[in-house]
Formats: sequence, structure tokens, C-alpha cells
Amino acid sequence: MLRGTKSGLEFVFAADAGDAVLSDLTARLSERPDFYRGSRATAIFQGAPLESDAFAGFLDTVRAHGIDLHGVYGAAELGPFAERHALAYLGEPPRPVVTSLGQRRPRKVVAALTERARSLEADFAGAREDIARRRARGETSVAKPDFAKAAAIRAGAASAGPTIAPPVLTVTPGTPATLYHRGTLRGGQILQQIGNIVVVGDVNPGAELVASGDILVFGALRGTAHAGAQGDTAARVAALELAPTQLRIATCIAADDVKHKAREPEVAFIRDERIAIAPYAKAGLR
Amino acid sequence: MAGRRIVITSGKGGVGKTTTTANLGAALAKRGYKVVLVDTDIGLRNLDLVLGVEKRIVFDLVEVVEGRCQVRQALIRDKRFTSLHLLPAAQTRDKTAVTEAQMDALIGELAEEADFVLIDCPAGIEHGFRNAVAGAREGIVVTTPEVSAIRDADRVVGKLKERGLPHTLIVNRIRPEMVASGEMMTVDDVRDVLRTEILGIIPDDEEVIDTTNRGEPLVLDPNQRLAPIYLKIARRLEGEKIPLTRLESQTFLTKLFSIWKAG
Amino acid sequence: MEAIETEITAPVPEAPVGEQPVAPLGRAIVITSGKGGVGKTTTTANVGAALAALGKRVVLVDADVGLRNLDIVLGLEARVKYHVLDVIENKAELDDALVRDKNVDSLYLLAAAQTREKEDVSTEAMIGLIEQLRARFEFVLIDCPAGIETGFRNAIAGAGHAIVVCTPEVSAVRDADRVVGLLPHDWKPELVVNRLRPALVRKGKMLSVEDVDAILRLPLLGVIPDEPGIIIATNKGRPIALDEHSPVGAAYRQIASRLAGNDVPPPTVKVAEPGFFSKFGSLFGGR
Repeated sequence: MLRGTKSGLEFVFAADAGDAVLSDLTARLSERPDFYRGSRATAIFQGAPLESDAFAGFLDTVRAHGIDLHGVYGAAELGPFAERHALAYLGEPPRPVVTSLGQRRPRKVVAALTERARSLEADFAGAREDIARRRARGETSVAKPDFAKAAAIRAGAASAGPTIAPPVLTVTPGTPATLYHRGTLRGGQILQQIGNIVVVGDVNPGAELVASGDILVFGALRGTAHAGAQGDTAARVAALELAPTQLRIATCIAADDVKHKAREPEVAFIRDERIAIAPYAKAGLR
Repeated sequence: MAGRRIVITSGKGGVGKTTTTANLGAALAKRGYKVVLVDTDIGLRNLDLVLGVEKRIVFDLVEVVEGRCQVRQALIRDKRFTSLHLLPAAQTRDKTAVTEAQMDALIGELAEEADFVLIDCPAGIEHGFRNAVAGAREGIVVTTPEVSAIRDADRVVGKLKERGLPHTLIVNRIRPEMVASGEMMTVDDVRDVLRTEILGIIPDDEEVIDTTNRGEPLVLDPNQRLAPIYLKIARRLEGEKIPLTRLESQTFLTKLFSIWKAG
Repeated sequence: MEAIETEITAPVPEAPVGEQPVAPLGRAIVITSGKGGVGKTTTTANVGAALAALGKRVVLVDADVGLRNLDIVLGLEARVKYHVLDVIENKAELDDALVRDKNVDSLYLLAAAQTREKEDVSTEAMIGLIEQLRARFEFVLIDCPAGIETGFRNAIAGAGHAIVVCTPEVSAVRDADRVVGLLPHDWKPELVVNRLRPALVRKGKMLSVEDVDAILRLPLLGVIPDEPGIIIATNKGRPIALDEHSPVGAAYRQIASRLAGNDVPPPTVKVAEPGFFSKFGSLFGGR
């Protein structure tokens, strides 16, 4: 199992884990080759260590994806195993950390979203409006942001080209935590989080949720929600009643036409560069 | 030439500032002017609801002032009148997020592009009021024929005078039948108390609540009996001399007002 | 009209108010709404009058410094000699500043200053004043100004409970929701829906109480029907709550009775069909 925590990624191997688990993880990493690049990670063994050669191969794959797997948690017998693979032995597996913020108390976590993220939000929306205006005038020469070139610039491979920086999106080091909020979020209240947001209660019109990851509302979402606020186009917004004033995922905005009467849980996600909404049960989510 | 910068204010809340701003703006736009409506009620914005554009807000006034986006990015263009624009207030901030100087500069910038900048003022006479007035060069005071509304309007008229802003009055929610039966003050009563030139008189109409809830300025609907009234006010604002439509003639309660005015 | 003119010459009664210290302290309740003009002041005056008519000792505090109106609604503007700021700044004794209502004996008003600014009142001073009043009255009703600025913060500072007044309009509901979010989190505010016109709700042209509840999710303290008569009563300075024949008055008396701790059945409104916003239901309630 692969999971993200406050301190980084964790590869968790259950007591009965075998080589199949390793190939699963390998496959999952290759699905999104660069997604975890730059992350720090640990391996947690809940039982005996895996067969050494298979693990060495896995370790290579992990490093090839730019993940810094630096230590191993597990029973004392893992010590020599870690040493063999030139990893630090970190001791007993840590107890699962559950971030629980704002029990009843709506809390402004303003500092959580960086200035850069806010300005990013500003940039894309302005850009979208410009594009719309030019299209209305019949101009078609609006260049799409060149993500490949952006990546190249980031890697230092490209020489100084045009000085206008394309929207370069990076996953913040330190994998997201989840902000958990219980109670109705009233108009004017705002939750911002690097990571996911879970609200148990209603989100009223005029309230705002901004997350770099997913947003999940166990209640009616009637305010504004922005998932993937730092550019994660795989982010989703799900609610028992999805009736938002406005939905934003990464750089897409949906409004005006999000009127509908579904009385079942729904999820919004990006499909073909537009926000799509589907019944939660049918969306085929993990 | 720079456009006119008009604050729409009242002191008391709920007398129809926002509805008046929206409808007057739509009326001016319908007459061909480029109009920008500015919602300065930071934290309690409503003008977007009245115009039916709340779902289209991406940026707001505070973000413009803080330099996070450009003015034109924050302006929302009305779908019915392309010359009508809204600069929405921020909902998740408070009134101290903007200073009077910033507001003045912002409204000045808008007035360079627009013929009319109508500033919807928050209720009360606190920070939000001072901000809204700071950007204006003239004022429209909205009041209803109720003692409490007029007392608050009187306070606001005083504040506008202190700042040397020329101003006119709109008397909202007159119920002619109640005026006729002597149960409601007349427009003359109101004028006598406030000693301010009257720009318009608007009768009470239950359709207002409905159109407000649905986000449609009623100026757009020729079947609305208030539509021609707002259009007339718009023409008066342009400087045309149109006599006021008299809804009543009786005077009532003037004496009462002279008492507290004197005291 | 007449009543007011005669009152101008009448001396301010020097009533010794609640001389013996009372235990326990009275309840301080703020009446707030966010949006202006939804009926905060009218509600304060009428609920206060109805409570006083039940025999409770009640003081109404106008926290709308600079834009006071509670004195007008009660028809007491000519009797006001001193105001909240005079008391806070020790320019007047509390007893001299309290104005006794001319309709009900156990109802008093502490007026706001008209010529001052809300920033002139410090939160600490307000808390102290309310504390003082709670020692002498069973109910301290605080009429909050519109908006969410300094005046609002001062008004809620001394209170321990809130009544949120809201009309069945989208903008009023939004603003009420905003205000509830700014109240202390351990409060359980109660809702008064004001100016409901059942006929309009039936036609789908006004939000229903259920529509309002779908957003606000607050316990319903009362529903006040809309009636042209309310404006007349406001202008004449006699709270409609004292009018035995008015359905509006009856609604206020019910609220008062509920606040006084009596077991009153929850307000019911006869509206045949749901309003057009009823589709906004929700699976989770409460704050």
C-alpha cells in the first residue's frame, strides 16, 4: 500500500505481503511517473521483511521515479535487512497519525496555502478570461501553456527563452495531510489546506474550500470549492449533495451550468479539460 | 472625460440600496452608457445576487486592491447588457482589508473607462461607509418613508455635506394607498426633513423581492411597473429635467419630524 | 402623535430600578441579523415589551451608536437624556440614563449615542455595562447594528445568547448565515423569520420557512407574518406586541413566552406548497 502522510510517502507492507505487492506498487508508480518526484518516503513492514533481491529491484524503481526512500520501520529483525539495502533503520512502525483539526470550531488556516498558490490561482483565471475574450474576437493564436518546456526549464535544460513563466506546477514537498472539519461552514468562512479537505456538515453559499488535493463533503456543498488548487488535475470534489455556487478543479472553473437536481452523492472531476459531474456510485472511484 | 463616481448610501440597512444600485445601473446601461457597479459591502456582499452573477465571481475588489489580479479580470460583465459590469466585494474578508485611499484610486481607475461608476455602500456609518464614500464625487441617499430610515438618512446627509459631496434623494417603497389614508409619510414630509433635492420616488412593489431572489433586475422586464420609474431616474441623473411623478399629495407627520429635528 | 407631544413636557420619572441585587444574573441576549432593515429593532422592542408584559424586568440596549432607532420605535426619543456612552464615560449614572417605557412598567431603554461613532465604545466597557445590567434585570436585550463591523462586535461582546432575525429573502439568509458564523462557537442561536407572506410563498415568489431552515439550520424561535400594520406601529411608537388583536403581536408574545421558559408549541406556518428553494435539502444539520 502507498499512502501519503504529513512527513512524506509511506510504503506499507502488510504481514502477509509478497512479491505481488511489489509489482502492484511498481505498476502504480509507473502510472504517474513524475507525480511523486522529490518526495521523501519510508517503508513500513508490519511483518517479516521481503525477499531481498525483489526488494532491491523495487528500490531501484522507486529511485528511478525520483522518490527518496530513506528508511525502514519494522520489528528489530528489520535492522540487518535495512543495512543490506543501505537504508536507515527507524525502529518500530509509527502509530498512524490522524490530523484532526477544528472539531466544531471553524478555523481559518490561511497560512496553509502559499502566496505562490494564491497568485497561481489569480494567473490562471485571468488567462482564461483573456483566452475567452480573444476567442470571442475570433483570434485563435492563443498558445497553450507548454508544460513540457516548463519541465525542461525547471530541470535547467533549456536556455533562457521568453521570460513569461508558464504555469509551472509542482507538488509541494511533504505529502498532504487532510483537514477535517465538523459542522456547518457558514458564509464567509474559508478553509484552505495543502492536502485534502473533509467536511462533515454543510458548506453554505459564500463559504469557500480551497485544497491542493481532494475535497469531500458529507453534507450539502452550496458554496465554492476549489480542489487541486495547485494544479492537480486529478483532484476531485465529492459531496452528498453537490450544489455548489462555483466549482474549481486545478485550472478549470464550472459555474452557471452546474444547476441540477440530483439527490444522490456526486463527484466532480476533470474530463477532457472540462469539469464533469457524475453520480458517486457510478464514477468508478478507488 | 472621466465618468461620474456616485455612491448610493442610506445609513439604515434594508431600505433598498442594493436593489436601487442594480436597477439604476441596468437602466443607465440600457440607455447606452458604460456602467460599473462596485459592491463595497465586503463580508456581506449581495449585489452579485441581485444581478444573478454570483456563480461567475472569480476575483473580487480586495484582490484587485491587493494587486493579485487586474481590474478587468475581476469585472463581471452582465449577460443582458454588455455595457453593465460588476466589481464584486470579497465575502471572506472584512471591511478593514481596504483603505479609503485605495478605494479612491480604484474608483478613479474605473471612472476612466466607464461613464458611470455606481458604488453600493454598506449599511451603517463605520469603516465600510467611509471607504465607499471615499471613492465618490457625488451621492444618492436612499430612504423609505419611515421615521427610523429618515433619521439615519439625515445622519448620512450630514456626513456627505461634511465631505462636500453633492447629493440627491431617492424615496423608496412608498405605498400610495397608505399615504392617502394618512398612515404613511408623504414625499414632501421626507423632503422637508432632509432638505435634499429628490431624484426619484419609487412605489412599494412586492415583485421586488421576487426579482431580487431570482437575480433579475426588474428594469429588464417591460411588464414591471417599476421599470419605467428607474429609467426616468436614470434620465434625471443624466441631467434631463423630468417632473417627479406625484404619488400622493397629503402631508402627515411633518410636525413630528420638526420636533426631533429641532431637538 | 398626541402621546409623544404630551410626553415631551412630562418629567423623566426617577424610578429606582431593581434596587436589591438579584441572583442569579439575568440573560443577556443580542438580536442580530447581518443585513439591515430586516426587523432587528422592531423585534427587540416587541419581544422586550411582550416579556415585560409577562411581568419580567427587561432592559433594551441600543448598540447602534450613531444610528440609533430603538427610542423611536418605542416612542421614547423625547425622553432620552443620557445614552450608553455617557454611562460608560461616567458622565451619567446608569439610573439616570435608563428610560422607563410609557406602555409597560417593567420595560426600560438604554439609548445609543446619536452623535458619536461606534469606534468610541470599547468592547471591555460594553461587557462591563451589560454585566451591570444583568445584575438588575431578568432580560437584557441588545439591539445590534447592521453589518459585521465594530458595532456588531461590541453588541455581541456582552451577550450570552443570540436571536438571529432574517426575512425570507436570499440576501437576508446569506447575511444571517455569515453572522451565525461569526458568533461564538458554543452559542446556540435561535432564529426568528420575519415578514413572512404566506400568500407569496404559496405562489412560489417568496422563500418558505423550510427554505430558510435548509441553509441556516437553527432552532426556530418564531415566525412573524408580514402585515402593513407594523409600519404604523413603528411610526406611532407603540409596540404591536401589546395589541391583543394583531396576529403579529401574538407572534411576538409567543416568542417572549418561549424565552421566559414557558412550554410553547413550535411556530407553525400554514403554507400549502413548498417554496421554490425547498430543493435545497441537506442530510446533515446543526452547527
